[in-house]
Amino acid sequence: MDLLDNYKKAWTNQPEETSKLSAIEIYKLAHSKSSSIVKWIFIIGILEFVILNSLYFFVDMETVMEEYRKIGLENFIYYSNILAYIIIFYFLVKFYVNYQRISIVDSTNTLMNKILKTRKTVKNYVIFNLAYVAILMMVATTAKINANYTDLNTTQIFMVVGATLLATLLFLGVLWLFYQLLYGFLLKKLKRNYKELAKLNSTN
Amino acid sequence: MQKDLEAKFLKDFEKNQNIAHKICRIYTSNKSAHNDLFQEITIQVWKNYPKFRGDSKFSTWMYRVALNTAISLYRKSTRRVKTQDISNLAYKIKATDYDDTEEQQLKALYKAIHTLNDIEKALIFLYLEDKPYKEISETLGISSVNARVKMNRTKEKLKNILNP
Repeated sequence: MDLLDNYKKAWTNQPEETSKLSAIEIYKLAHSKSSSIVKWIFIIGILEFVILNSLYFFVDMETVMEEYRKIGLENFIYYSNILAYIIIFYFLVKFYVNYQRISIVDSTNTLMNKILKTRKTVKNYVIFNLAYVAILMMVATTAKINANYTDLNTTQIFMVVGATLLATLLFLGVLWLFYQLLYGFLLKKLKRNYKELAKLNSTN
Repeated sequence: MQKDLEAKFLKDFEKNQNIAHKICRIYTSNKSAHNDLFQEITIQVWKNYPKFRGDSKFSTWMYRVALNTAISLYRKSTRRVKTQDISNLAYKIKATDYDDTEEQQLKALYKAIHTLNDIEKALIFLYLEDKPYKEISETLGISSVNARVKMNRTKEKLKNILNP
């Protein structure tokens, strides 16, 4: 008899849990709040959409538009904003569809794949937003330099470009760290298990 | 309608709750984590119960939901096992009517399983529960061949831990 067979016998004969739950206790548990990572990914994802889009409320758009008008970017801002909103809407729909597709009845592999896909939509959305802001900043800086070209000397131009770059990099760095912490905390275990399954499927 | 469904769920879950308890014992190493995971499994089974069509046995369906909750949805990691926690396992297992050798074997088995990773735990659990390879590969989403190969390796690993 195989060594494991003995242990398997012990497993099969193991007594049932001493503290078995009654139907009432099960009812209470079933109606309590879930703390699953899927729920958290959904909440955080929605928060990201809301927070990033509500930032505009804190900025006095009139003054900003006046600034853009001065450097001749009015049309560019107008059309790029329309495009940005179409893309944001696309991400929102994709995020919701991906979230809806998550089903715990799927196989472990498929389930983890779908969870990671939903998370990736939010990630792409954030990357898009950052890229959009970065492009806007670059265009605005270039336009500003162009508009004031005669008044600025070379050192001043370099300082403006340098300061813009530094501020952008610092902002991105802090944000990246925050994301590493937030999603690292949430998805560390899932990613480890997903890798383990992927390894299984590729090496054998 | 909802009341009927709820009554049916409670009956099914109460009868099969030992599946969830066994999974909690494998994936957690102290009582509060056990209860926490058990709660999440109960929520997930209830939430998805309307989708249970009854074309398979409830227990088969519950194995999948409970394992998926432990592997993918439950966040707290229990990789490191403290020895004092393992000895706590005694509180969960009734000593009466249970052969002494088997009790020792069961404790050693749980201790050994705790050193495996989450996927290996799932494989060994399904083996111990006498599940066919087809069901194991479908539950985890890997091919039958891969399930078999990994199962043999994990069994070897477990044997080495149990009998070094």
